[in-house]
Amino acid sequence: MVSTAGQRPASRDDGRPRPPGAANGHSDLSQRGFPPLADSRLRPRQPVVILAGGLGSGKTELAINLCLRLRATGDRVRIADLDIVKPFNRCREARELLADAGVELIAPPGEQFFSDLPVILPEIRGMIREAGAGEPEEMTAEPGAGIVVLDVGGDAAGARVLASLAGAFRPDGYEFLLVLNTSRPFTTDLAGLSKMCDEVRAAAGLVPTGLIANTHLMDETDVETVLGGYRAVSELARTAGLPVRMVACDERLAPALPPSSFDCPVLALTRVLGLPETRGARKSPLTYV
Amino acid sequence: MKGAEAIGEAAIRAGASAYFCYPITPQTEVAEYLAKRMPQVGGVFLQGESEVAVANMLFGAAATGKRVFTSTSSPGFSLMAEAMSYIAGAELPVVFINVMRCGPGLGGVLAAQGDYWQATRNSGHGDYRCPVLAPCSVQEAAELTVQAFDLAEKYRNPVILLADGMIGQMMEPVSLDSLTPGVPSEKPWATTGCRGRDPNIIKSLYLDPHVLEKMNLRLSAKYRRMVDEEVQVELYNQRDRLDLLVVAYGTMARICKTAIDILGEEGLHLALVRPISLFPFPAAAVHAAARHATRVVTVELSQGQMVEDVDLALRELGPSEFFGRSGGVVPTPDEVAGAFRRLAKGACQ
Amino acid sequence: MTATQTLYSRPEALRRVPTHYCPGCTHGTAHRLIAEVIDALGIRERTVGIAPVGCAVLAYNYFNCDFLEAAHGRAPAFATGVKRVRPDLIVFTYQGDGDLASIGMGEIVHAANRGEKFTVIFINNAIYGMTGGQMAPTTLPGQITTTCPDGRDVRQVGYPIRMSELLATLRTPAYVARGSLHEPGRILEAKRFIEKAFRYQVEDRCFALVELLSTCPTNWAMPPDVACKWLADNMIPYYPLGELKLPEESVTS
Repeated sequence: MVSTAGQRPASRDDGRPRPPGAANGHSDLSQRGFPPLADSRLRPRQPVVILAGGLGSGKTELAINLCLRLRATGDRVRIADLDIVKPFNRCREARELLADAGVELIAPPGEQFFSDLPVILPEIRGMIREAGAGEPEEMTAEPGAGIVVLDVGGDAAGARVLASLAGAFRPDGYEFLLVLNTSRPFTTDLAGLSKMCDEVRAAAGLVPTGLIANTHLMDETDVETVLGGYRAVSELARTAGLPVRMVACDERLAPALPPSSFDCPVLALTRVLGLPETRGARKSPLTYV
Repeated sequence: MKGAEAIGEAAIRAGASAYFCYPITPQTEVAEYLAKRMPQVGGVFLQGESEVAVANMLFGAAATGKRVFTSTSSPGFSLMAEAMSYIAGAELPVVFINVMRCGPGLGGVLAAQGDYWQATRNSGHGDYRCPVLAPCSVQEAAELTVQAFDLAEKYRNPVILLADGMIGQMMEPVSLDSLTPGVPSEKPWATTGCRGRDPNIIKSLYLDPHVLEKMNLRLSAKYRRMVDEEVQVELYNQRDRLDLLVVAYGTMARICKTAIDILGEEGLHLALVRPISLFPFPAAAVHAAARHATRVVTVELSQGQMVEDVDLALRELGPSEFFGRSGGVVPTPDEVAGAFRRLAKGACQ
Repeated sequence: MTATQTLYSRPEALRRVPTHYCPGCTHGTAHRLIAEVIDALGIRERTVGIAPVGCAVLAYNYFNCDFLEAAHGRAPAFATGVKRVRPDLIVFTYQGDGDLASIGMGEIVHAANRGEKFTVIFINNAIYGMTGGQMAPTTLPGQITTTCPDGRDVRQVGYPIRMSELLATLRTPAYVARGSLHEPGRILEAKRFIEKAFRYQVEDRCFALVELLSTCPTNWAMPPDVACKWLADNMIPYYPLGELKLPEESVTS
């Protein structure tokens, strides 16, 4: 059922490599699949957005997309790679694409960049404070601090890094969004989703503020996959008393989704990291950097 | 599912009743998955004190006739080599999964294919061989895991699933229902208490050289049977006239396929031979495909290991060209296509 | 006519074959005690023994039960594997001092600390027998071996390891005892320790280890009777006899 031959992401481009630095304009980001956010409900409600959730739920692709879309909208955006659970598929792998778009990436320096060592950089605390998400409450954002996205590793194991930062936040200074893919093992039903939610919350020492339904089966995703995932996440939302902040799905499928199906906005994703045979291939977003 | 999870789940579907492990990047997800799943299916999950101990626990558990396995990554695989030799000598079925990282030494945690020699020759001491299976997708990782258990039992021999960090982390849909594990065979040799029979002894010590040689000859016949019966290979884009034949396995083969497609659009004819079984090596398939090609290139995430098997297979047609990256550097399809283009066009002149 | 009564015979758990052990070597005594206990508990048909690398490597030729032959020092890992997947079996390892206290130190400490429910018989004769009399981790200070020809120099290689004391410091419930095989009274005491160690396993209670001080007349280069006296005079003062740790009733179910 898995065909490995010849699958490459659909392109809306001419497929020719471009020189580095040629993509600084916002219109260029649009051409690559990262247009400005048209729906203001997709914008963060707080200056700091934490993305956590199950291992392999799509947090990193979502984080990269969100950052590039916010950048295209004109925001200053900083993203911290806090994945300490695995040395693969981390947002730092899109460093050139992010840098080219003007998104600031905070990742371990030097050879630590390539390791799976638990490196928590001190500047992350500073970013939280600058963005106006820290204690005390009357502290406001420094001018131009922009939006800070924290991309955290999967499962409770990945969310543990937040515990060391938990004291840095004031209670309503951040959005803490759980990305959920209900086709992943252990999160296919309400019990599994609740357990994941509880475990991540306990490990992080922070209370989630919302959910993101990102159910997919890679290239085999269809409309029903997305709708089914949304229903399951909505059920969790009701039990947990949390809003579904958005539904995320591949940009190729997004136009086919009936808009009336959701009480929340849809974020269309352009796959960035993908699979080794597409990564850096001519039609991948990573090519142009 | 991620490759690591698919391997763990496939092992459960194959009837594995025990998994012993020691954490090591980049395959710890297998252990973390099974720490949750094994108790759910009434199986044994145990984190040992070292890979040395883990591999020896596998000997003990396999001796009872149960289906057992472990997963590790390169440095841990080296530590298991001692027990693998004993397991091969005692003829016990055990599945070893090595998710390769780069070396030598501590190396790095990124993907590599530098353990080809270690897996396909023999990791431990003495005169033995193990079937080695190399998946290139998550689905295939699941299927080969199931096959590995069946093969281990068929030959009473260790079997190695040789993957790399990308397969472990790669996420693809998997159909687990299509997995069809064989029915575990009777194991009259198992040490399960000698009720109603003479005691069973499982050992690899034969002090009399003539007895040991006889044992070696018997093992050798078994390995020859593997060569006759267990070759697995995928041919991609075969045709009568090729500008270049590519030989690659695992994740590297996926990247090569994309590169072949890119060059196909330019009118260059390239094909891929992807060994799925690395031992036994599909020498006949390589030779047959190479007869249609002007040139052959072996591509690996190493400085060249499988290339020696390819050259042996090519005989009078050889040797092959080589393209490799190592240290955890994974070439992009464009980079590989560039190398292929140069070789193919060189061959045309 | 007088009825005949068998007072002494070969245990069923031992095969009717001669052993390769040297005259005066206490391996034979240790084998017999274990076999008697296996018979007494009626567990022969569900027992799996694990042989070491050392003089007792061929133990599987003498015991009349299922047996595995382990890699050097790894018997506790083998036993862990068997017992974890077949908790209904009775599993014991038989290991010497080089096997258990040197190359297999990691395996024995961790198996004991996990509380693996098998029984370890540890033969301590303060020397490597199989390879021809080299220094063991339990060789006494000043004791001459082929690799310490001037006697064990503690400034160079440290003092001998007291394995039973070391393992008895572990918190996980366990039975640890040290007996000796140099004289009849001690042999009977050792059998009581072995019997307890197996019974705890039959009752699914805990990890159990019995260290047995043993002689090696060949490599010690002494007649058997002198070897027994040497053991009493030199080993027992350094390796005191008795039960070092009993399972706590409250913890071991």
